[in-house]
Amino acid sequence: MKAPRTAGPRLGRRDPAVPPWMFVVPALVVYAAVVLYPSVAGVVYAFTDWSGIGSFSFVGLANFHTLLHDDRALASITNTLLLTVAVVVAQNGLGLLLALGVNAEIRSRNLLRVVFFAPAVVSPVMVAFLWKYVYNPDNGSGLNGVLGAVGLGGLRQDWLGNPSLTLWSVAAMVVWQYAGYSMVVFLAGLQGVPPELHEAARIDGAGTWQRFRYVTWPLLAPALTVNLMLSTIGGLKLFDQVYAATNGGPGTSSETLSTVLYKEAFVYGKFGYSTAVALVLALFVAAVSLLQLRYLRAREVAA
Amino acid sequence: MTTGSRSQPGRGTVSRRGVLRAGGGLVAATALPTGLAACSGGGSGGTVRVVGVADEQQPITEMIAAYRRSHPGTAFSTSFAPTDQVQTVVRTQLAGGNAPDVHVLYPGSGSAMSMVELAKAGLLAHLDDQAWTRTIPKGFDAAYRWKGRTYLYSAGSSVIGAIYNKKVFADAGVKPPTTWSGLLDVCGTLKARGVVPIALGAQTPWVTQLISYALVPNAVYAKDPSFDDDMAAGRATFAGSGWADALGKYQDLQKRGYFNDHPDGTTYEQQTSMVATGKAAMAVQVSAVLAAFRQAAKSPDDLGMFPFPGGDDPANLWIPAGVVVGLGVSARARNAAKGRQFIEFLGRQENINAWATAVSAVPFTRDSTTRLDPALSDFLPIIDADRAVPFMDQRWPNAEVQPAHFAAVQDLLAGKTDVNGALEQMDTAYGKSS
Repeated sequence: MKAPRTAGPRLGRRDPAVPPWMFVVPALVVYAAVVLYPSVAGVVYAFTDWSGIGSFSFVGLANFHTLLHDDRALASITNTLLLTVAVVVAQNGLGLLLALGVNAEIRSRNLLRVVFFAPAVVSPVMVAFLWKYVYNPDNGSGLNGVLGAVGLGGLRQDWLGNPSLTLWSVAAMVVWQYAGYSMVVFLAGLQGVPPELHEAARIDGAGTWQRFRYVTWPLLAPALTVNLMLSTIGGLKLFDQVYAATNGGPGTSSETLSTVLYKEAFVYGKFGYSTAVALVLALFVAAVSLLQLRYLRAREVAA
Repeated sequence: MTTGSRSQPGRGTVSRRGVLRAGGGLVAATALPTGLAACSGGGSGGTVRVVGVADEQQPITEMIAAYRRSHPGTAFSTSFAPTDQVQTVVRTQLAGGNAPDVHVLYPGSGSAMSMVELAKAGLLAHLDDQAWTRTIPKGFDAAYRWKGRTYLYSAGSSVIGAIYNKKVFADAGVKPPTTWSGLLDVCGTLKARGVVPIALGAQTPWVTQLISYALVPNAVYAKDPSFDDDMAAGRATFAGSGWADALGKYQDLQKRGYFNDHPDGTTYEQQTSMVATGKAAMAVQVSAVLAAFRQAAKSPDDLGMFPFPGGDDPANLWIPAGVVVGLGVSARARNAAKGRQFIEFLGRQENINAWATAVSAVPFTRDSTTRLDPALSDFLPIIDADRAVPFMDQRWPNAEVQPAHFAAVQDLLAGKTDVNGALEQMDTAYGKSS
């Protein structure tokens, strides 16, 4: 016997009276009010001499002209790029190695996943304070103490006090914190690789390296895209760890564009100029991200 | 090199709120203070909102408790945080028209939250009608007053000198030196005994300036008391002044190995611990941190303080004595009357004394009831002889010179620059627009 037809709407049939995008509108309104509008309105200050308090005058492109001749800001761009490259390479390299390790059939893999991911959920400022102890220049403490204890006393350094080393010490701190995050993304990618492909490759006589190179690596392309994008954006905007660990010092050796714009606004009281720096940083991050995305997407298709 | 931005002549100024309205941002203009209020701890309904820096927490808490005993109807909400965080929050609140009734205020100029900076912007209520303002010594005008009006309440001055471990000195058979050459001898003796003569935590930016400040009064102001005016008029530079001698001596102490290894990698907390535990003999510090050093020591009596000798004539020693961070009343305070009453209460001699005691400062006005921290006894005759000068940054024209000084000293200690290069960095920052 056939079931009687109901008068209600059938599954799969769209009701034109309530278009689907209407469901997004409430969230979009809130997002526009608290993120989009302030961001766009803030751009106005990039063209003023506002100190952060009181009235201001419009100064046209003077802030951008100043930025082009500001040695400290220009040096911070170099630091930012060096930090970004170091963090992107080391964080993703280490993340991939960790993912391959905890993807293996070992009994403690779940525990290891939690342990490696844990630093990613800790506040960056807390991590910076923790690492300040690790980087204590005293020979008997922290990393220097460990190096001395294992017979590598010759490698002891003033990790945060030597201008030639500070930037790399900060990079190591960031890598330690976020390598576990990259690991989780790579792990998701690894678990999406069909086991049959590995079996077929094994039958064809492929070794471990060949299976990784020709089976796993191409299929990890989407995960790599996500990781590279996120770590690049994070690197270019790096602020918390630098500010808490070194405050941009010694001297200005570890200043990033983010610490410069923060100091311009809240230490020097030059909010207008700081907004101009922030605008340049935002456009720079957007441009790098778009170029990266286009390249990586093309690579995914090729893979 | 130019930086920052200048008002262009002939163009009218605009208020922030006006721009927001013109841009259709009425919602933001009215919502902004509400949003900021949410993160400021509130303070409506007659509650006096007070925001201070961590250094002020003890005296403000004690003073509010004392005030409420005589004014039980007045409620207070307080919040305290480190300097940079408070500066960020309070400046944002000031911009949004939602400043606390009473808030942290730095003396003179030279910082983004300094009295001159905020008074210029019309954000402070003057306190001229209060009796205590008439007892402020004339020499402190630049710290407390702008254009003849008083805007700052501060209990007095802290001094910079050497906080030292008495036991370490006694074990080495040395006494606090009174001359520069005597200091070098003492440091040599201490170093020979395996003790770090001077602990220096230069990774903490504000610590970098203290040795400069301790040496500059002798090197600069003893010879040229009008140096600040000469700088302001463009007749003098850091590089061409006694500052070069002071930074040269700073560098000399490092070259002789009288600091701990890796000062640029050592923090203020580590510096404190080194002196308190006897690993180091002394640290050049501001008297306001005596309490922290005492807390870290086994016994508070282990520590003393002496004027850091920048010259070789003990009878003509000059020292830095800077007005300590204080409070101001917002020009747009919701509870202005109650805020001003509280400040008036703080201006009573017993309360000036109490605040000064809490931060190991010398009250700006003293009477027979004033009891100074015994550690400051060697400083008082110098202050009374008018051989004390305000902390140098309190007369600097913008907020960039002080950070430039921090960075220059760190570079100097790291060997990345020389004395002349360091002072040129400061001259460049001094020349920027305020």
